[in-house]
Amino acid sequence: MTQIAAERYTGASVRRSEDPRILTGQGRYVADIKLPGMLHAAFVRSPLAHGRVLAVDVSAARAVPGVVAVFTGADLEAMTVPGPELLLSLMGGGGPMPEYTLLATDKVRFVGDPVAVVVAESRYLAEDGCELVDIDYENLPPVVSAASALDAGSPPVFANLGDNIIGPHKRSEFGDVTGTFAGAARVAEFHIDVHRHQNVPMEGRGCVASHDAACGVMTVYAATQSVHVTRMGVAMRLGMEQDKVRVLAGDIGGSFGLKIGASREELAVAAASRALGRPVKWVEDRVENLTASGQAREESFEVRAAVGDDGVLHGLDVKMVIDTGAYPVMGTMVPTIIEMMLPGPYKLAALGFESTAVTTNKASYVAYRGPWASETFVRERVLDLLAKDLGLDPLEIRLRNVAPRTDPPFTMITGRPLVGVTSKESLERIAQVVDIPAFRRRQAEERARGRYLGIGLATFIEAAPGPRSPEGPSGPMGLEHMRLRLADDGVLTLFTGQMPHGQSHQTTLAQIAADEFGVPFGQVRVVVGDSDVVPFGLTGGSRSATMTGGVTLHGARQLRAKVLDFASHLMEASARDLEITAGQVLVRGDPDSAIPVGEVARQAASGQFGADVDTNFEVEASFDGGEGGWSGGSHCAIVEVDVETGLVKVERYVAAEDCGALINPAVVEGQIRGGIAQGIGAVLLERSAYDQDGNYQSATFMDYLLPTACDIPRIEIVHLETVPLDADVNFRGVGEGGMIVAPPTVVNAIEDALTPFGVRIYEQHLPPARILELIAAADLG
Amino acid sequence: MVDITVKVNGATRTGSVEARKTLSDFLRDDLDLTGTHVGCEHGVCGSCTVIVDGRAVRSCLMLAVQAAGSEVTTVEGLAPDGALGALQQAMWDSHSFQCGFCTPGFVMQATAFLSAHPDAGEQEIREALSGNICRCTGYQSIIDGVLLAAHRSREIPCGREADRGGRR
Repeated sequence: MTQIAAERYTGASVRRSEDPRILTGQGRYVADIKLPGMLHAAFVRSPLAHGRVLAVDVSAARAVPGVVAVFTGADLEAMTVPGPELLLSLMGGGGPMPEYTLLATDKVRFVGDPVAVVVAESRYLAEDGCELVDIDYENLPPVVSAASALDAGSPPVFANLGDNIIGPHKRSEFGDVTGTFAGAARVAEFHIDVHRHQNVPMEGRGCVASHDAACGVMTVYAATQSVHVTRMGVAMRLGMEQDKVRVLAGDIGGSFGLKIGASREELAVAAASRALGRPVKWVEDRVENLTASGQAREESFEVRAAVGDDGVLHGLDVKMVIDTGAYPVMGTMVPTIIEMMLPGPYKLAALGFESTAVTTNKASYVAYRGPWASETFVRERVLDLLAKDLGLDPLEIRLRNVAPRTDPPFTMITGRPLVGVTSKESLERIAQVVDIPAFRRRQAEERARGRYLGIGLATFIEAAPGPRSPEGPSGPMGLEHMRLRLADDGVLTLFTGQMPHGQSHQTTLAQIAADEFGVPFGQVRVVVGDSDVVPFGLTGGSRSATMTGGVTLHGARQLRAKVLDFASHLMEASARDLEITAGQVLVRGDPDSAIPVGEVARQAASGQFGADVDTNFEVEASFDGGEGGWSGGSHCAIVEVDVETGLVKVERYVAAEDCGALINPAVVEGQIRGGIAQGIGAVLLERSAYDQDGNYQSATFMDYLLPTACDIPRIEIVHLETVPLDADVNFRGVGEGGMIVAPPTVVNAIEDALTPFGVRIYEQHLPPARILELIAAADLG
Repeated sequence: MVDITVKVNGATRTGSVEARKTLSDFLRDDLDLTGTHVGCEHGVCGSCTVIVDGRAVRSCLMLAVQAAGSEVTTVEGLAPDGALGALQQAMWDSHSFQCGFCTPGFVMQATAFLSAHPDAGEQEIREALSGNICRCTGYQSIIDGVLLAAHRSREIPCGREADRGGRR
C-alpha cells in the first residue's frame, strides 16, 4: 500500500501484480484452457484397496456416442515406455524400486487406483463411459497399516519386492548415545503418532495435453510446481526427447507440495493425446483429489528421552516408521530429513535414529508443506511431556535446552551449525508478548468456574535455505538460475524457473529487481511457466526467498553494470559516475543528463557501436545461496477446551518469526498465517481416514473437514530482527514454518488445558470425539 | 437438449444445454466465463458462487436450466472494462488472496453479503464467509479486505453501488 511513497520497494507491502487478474476472474488456470478439437478424459478407478484385475471390458463404454476412446492399463503400457517413478528415482534415497504400470494391469493397490481412462467429447460423456467399463476383480487381503506392512507375512503390494519394506531399516547414531542414556538421571519413553492428512489445494491436479504429430512436439498445459520437472517426467515415460516436450503453466490454484512432476494420470492423458491426435484435457474432481492425488504424514515414533532432573534433554533415541502408501513417490526421503532436523535449536548431545518405510494399500505419500514437520511435533511434544513430569513450565524447559547464539555457533549433533538462529530470542519475545504469568492467573480463575483454558508453546527452525556448508561447493541449496533482459521499451524482464502457485513471485521478485536495477516496479515483468523459455527451477522447499530473491538481486546488479558500461560510451562519462534511478541513466548529481533506460537500450541495438562495446542487455545469472541461514520462530496458542462437547476453540495465536529480511511483509505474513491455518486444521479437523478394509472414508468435503473463517483466529505476528549473515541476500524462506510448528503448538495448548484431568497426548489429531475419549480414559486411569 | 435464455452480467445469453448441465459448467464452457471456479462440485467450498437474482448461490449445485429467465452476475460482471469494484479494490489493498482459485467465490459471496449488510462487523463477516473455503490465507486478509470495503462504503456512500455488483 506504500508503493508510491516507498524509497525502496523491497521491504514494503507492495500490492500484488497478480491481484487485478485474479480479482476480476481473468486468471488462467489449467481448467480454463480450451483448445480446438479438445477432448476430455475421465478415469475409472479401483473400488478395492487390493485386488487382482482379472478382466477389463470396455466395449459398452466405447459404444457410448461421444466416447472417442477407452484405454486400459494394457493399452497404456503399449503407448508408453516403462520407467521408474521420476520423483522416487530422483529423491527416493536409493531403496528398492517397485514395478508397476501407468494404469493398473495386474493389480489395483488402493481405492482410487486408476485402471482405465475414457476420452470423450465432453467430461459428462467421459464419465458416462466410465460407468460402463466393466472390471472383474479378485479381492486380495489389503495391507492397511504400517504394522501389518512390517509383518513379513503380509501380502506384498508389489510382487517384485517380496515384502512391503520400501525403505529398508537403517540406524544412525550421533554423539555417545549409549553413554548418554546410561548416565541419564531419567529415561522417559513415549509412542507418538502423526496421522495421515493431505494438501487439498482448492484447485486439484489437471492438465491439457496436445500432441502435434507433424512437428513431433507435445505441449502440456499443466498445474505444476516446476514446468521442467513435469517435462522430464513426460519425456521419460512417453519416450520423447526433452526438447520435444513443452510444458506451459499459468495460474495455479495452490499445491502445497502436491503438484510436482508428472502423475500417472497426467502421463496417461499425454499418451492419449498422442494416440488420438487431438488435445485431451483432464481436470481432477474433488473426490479424485481427496481419494487419489496423494496424502501425507502418517508416521509413528518410538521415542526414548535421556533427561536430567533439571530438565536438560541430553539425548533422544527415536525409531520411526513411515507409511508411504501405494506407489511410493517421495515418502522415503522424509526420514533422512527428520533425522537431520530432530535436534532442532536445542543443545542435544546424542541422537539415535532409525527408520523404516513401508508400502501399503492407501494413496501415495506425497510432499505436503514441511514434509519433515514431524521432527518438530515429536520434539516439542516430548519437551512438554517431560516438563509435566518434572513440574517445569513449558517455557522454562525450552530456555534450559535451547542453544544460545555463540561464536562460533553451536553445531547440531547431526552436523549443521546453528548460525544466526534466534530461537532463544523468539521464545523470550513470545513469552513477553503473551504475558504467560497473567495467563496462568486467568487460567486458574477460569478453571475454578469450570472453563478449561490452555497455553501451548513450540519452536522450530527451518533450513530455508540452511547454513552454508564449508565443504559444499554450491551453497546450501544448489544453484538457482535466472535470465534478465532489458528491452528497448525500458521493460526489465526476469525469466525464472520458479512456478508460483500463491507465493506472489511476480510481485516480490519485481520488487527486488526494481530496487537493484533502478526502475519503477511497474517496469519489471516476471515471466514464469514455459519450459522453452525459463531456466530450470522448482518452487518448493521454501527456497525462493533466498535462492530466487538472491539471483534476482545479483542478476539485476550484473545487468545494471552492463547498461552503465554501455552508457559510459553513450554519455561520455565514466561508468563509475553513472547511476540508474527511476528508470533513467544519469550522471550522478546531474539530473539534466538523464536518459530513459529504454532509450539507452535502443541506442545499444542501433548497430552504431563497434565490437569492442558490449551492447547485449541480457544476462544469465546464477546464485548459490550465499551465506544462507535458518528461518525459525516460536509460536504460542491459547485454547479453550469445552470438556462437555470436546470442541476446541483457538482463542489467541501469536507467532514470533525470524525469516531474515522481509521482501514484502504482507506476503510473508500471508505465508505464515496460511501455514498456521493448515496446522490448526490438521489438529482439530483434518484426517485422511481408511477403514480396516482400506476403504477411503474422507472422499468429500463433508468428510474431510477444512478450517473455515470461523475456525481460524486473528493471528498476531511479531518479526524478530534478523542476524545478517550475507553481504547482500538475507531473505529467508517462510513457506513451511507455520505448518511445521502450529500442530505441536496447538496440541501442547490442548494438553495444558486438560491438565486437571491428567490427560497426556501422544498423537496429533484431536477432533471433539477424541478429546472426550482422552478425558474419559484419563478419568479411568 | 433444452434451450435457455439467461441474463448474464447484464447481457442476454442463450444456450442449448443438456438438462444435467450445471450452471457452473454452462458459464464456464458455453459462455467462456471462466472466472467462476469449480472447487468441489458438491456445494461445500463456495468457489463457484455467483449471484442469481440478487442471492449468492453455488453454481455447481444449480442446473443451467434452473437459471433460465434469471439474472446472473459472475465475477466478470462486477466491474466491467477491466476496472476493479470497490470491494475488489479493498481486497487488493488488503493482500486478501494468494493462489486466487477461491477468490471469485469469496468476492461474490462478500458482494451479496455487503449488499444486504453494509454495516456488518468482523464476526458477522466471518460467519457470512464461513461457507467459502480458502486453503492459502488463514482468512484474516480476506476478512480485512471485506471490512475495509465496508468501512470505505460508509465513508463514501456514493461508492457503494459499484460494491454491490450493479443491479439489485
